[in-house]
Amino acid sequence: MREVGIVGVGHTKFGKSDLPFLDLLGAAALEALDDAGIKTGEGHCVDQLFVSSMGASIQNRISGSASALVDSLNLRPAMAECVENGPASGGSAVKLGYMAIASGMCDCVLVVGGEKMGKGKEATDFVATMLHPEAEYPYGLTLTSFAAMFTRLIMDKYGVTSEDLARIAVKNHANACHNPVAQLQKPVSLEAITTGPDMEKINPPVAEPLRRYDVCPMSDGAAAVVLCAMDIADKFKRRPVRIAGIGQATDTHCVANRAVPTDLLAVRLASQKAYKMAGLTADDMDCAELHDAFQILELVESEEAGFFPRGQGHIGIRNGETEIGGRIPINTSGGLKAKGHPLGATGISQIIEVVKQLRGEAAGRQVEGAKAGLCVNFGGFGNNVVATVLTKD
Amino acid sequence: MYGYRCKKCGKLHHPARLVCDKCEGREFTEEILDGEGTLLTYTRVHNLPAGIDKPVLDFGIVQMREGVCVSGQLDIDGEIYTGMKVRATEGVVRVMNGVEHTGFIFVKA
Repeated sequence: MREVGIVGVGHTKFGKSDLPFLDLLGAAALEALDDAGIKTGEGHCVDQLFVSSMGASIQNRISGSASALVDSLNLRPAMAECVENGPASGGSAVKLGYMAIASGMCDCVLVVGGEKMGKGKEATDFVATMLHPEAEYPYGLTLTSFAAMFTRLIMDKYGVTSEDLARIAVKNHANACHNPVAQLQKPVSLEAITTGPDMEKINPPVAEPLRRYDVCPMSDGAAAVVLCAMDIADKFKRRPVRIAGIGQATDTHCVANRAVPTDLLAVRLASQKAYKMAGLTADDMDCAELHDAFQILELVESEEAGFFPRGQGHIGIRNGETEIGGRIPINTSGGLKAKGHPLGATGISQIIEVVKQLRGEAAGRQVEGAKAGLCVNFGGFGNNVVATVLTKD
Repeated sequence: MYGYRCKKCGKLHHPARLVCDKCEGREFTEEILDGEGTLLTYTRVHNLPAGIDKPVLDFGIVQMREGVCVSGQLDIDGEIYTGMKVRATEGVVRVMNGVEHTGFIFVKA
């Protein structure tokens, strides 16, 4: 099996965008191609394009995005396909790019992910379409509803508090202030969102016990990476970051059917597979991008990925172990909470943050000497998870 | 509202499945789920999706006395707490494109 690396990255600023969906994808794609030193047009080296999006056909009334983008970028006659796997679409698309190169079918693959989410109740409803079409979605249940019910279980079982979740939000907002592509580049204090006089106004309940700062914002945005076979990596402008391991696992579609309702089993299994493939362990990771669509997820994923014993992640947060400079910095990008969460882009965006850390290009938020990092891209409410381990070559 | 009992091993499921996750059986019998259960967790949601015309709505996950766990809406006045006994009723949970969808609405037992 051929080894695969990343030689180009591109990332639009997350947040509200007036660009049409395809232009948003194109902006990230061109930045990634330029970063890798790939010329478009006749003689280009891109064999395959993957486009990841959860809802372009629902929210933007666009299907066949990959066919449109490959032509617009002047990358014909490269192969082109769309990938839809809920909020894990980006991680899945990178996995498929990896497989295309590792199999020997391709030398160079462009992976682009993006979303234009819309806003308000309609966007909330669109995201909820990933839930079970009979046993969950029709009730008005949403991803936030399940995160809230999951949070209550974790609080009761392990003694996690609302303040612990707020600490994660404070950390991620602080990190996002140093990330020029983050949506919410503004710090927030623990007092302001927990006990301050304006707390109810700043941080109102969303789905009890969750409040606004326990939940990621709605975002538009796109992200892109160029993958290549490591044996031809010297043809590109940038030194490759190695994709050392990829793992993916699924769990019950219905959250109520989980054997242990406080576990995120697919996160554990996907991470373990990725570590095994890389020949590394959680202890070898210098940083991690975890899918904190809800702050409770960063906490429990940090345990399932092996950074803390079960039920101890909140102690690590209280001790500052997940901050930059701590034992295992998590979500140096600002995470989904503050960097933003355009669903189809998120898995790729996470990978780009670790690439920047391993290149030493994460100015203001750099983890000194980072050599390896983990990304966890979480689909559904944990029913389909992709984990990726990247290493500095 | 129904549970789906595997004809081969007897495990009760909700919602319906193609293959039993205990014994690989593929045939099921329908069984009405209208009894009591225990509330495992719950939430009061303030940011409801389009199509739900209420300011707030309560949801929960309930373990039915038959053992199967299901999600549903709650219609409970007063305190809601983990471990409380509830009873399953069936009602309209949402109207989508003019079609009424029915589901579990749990009330205090």
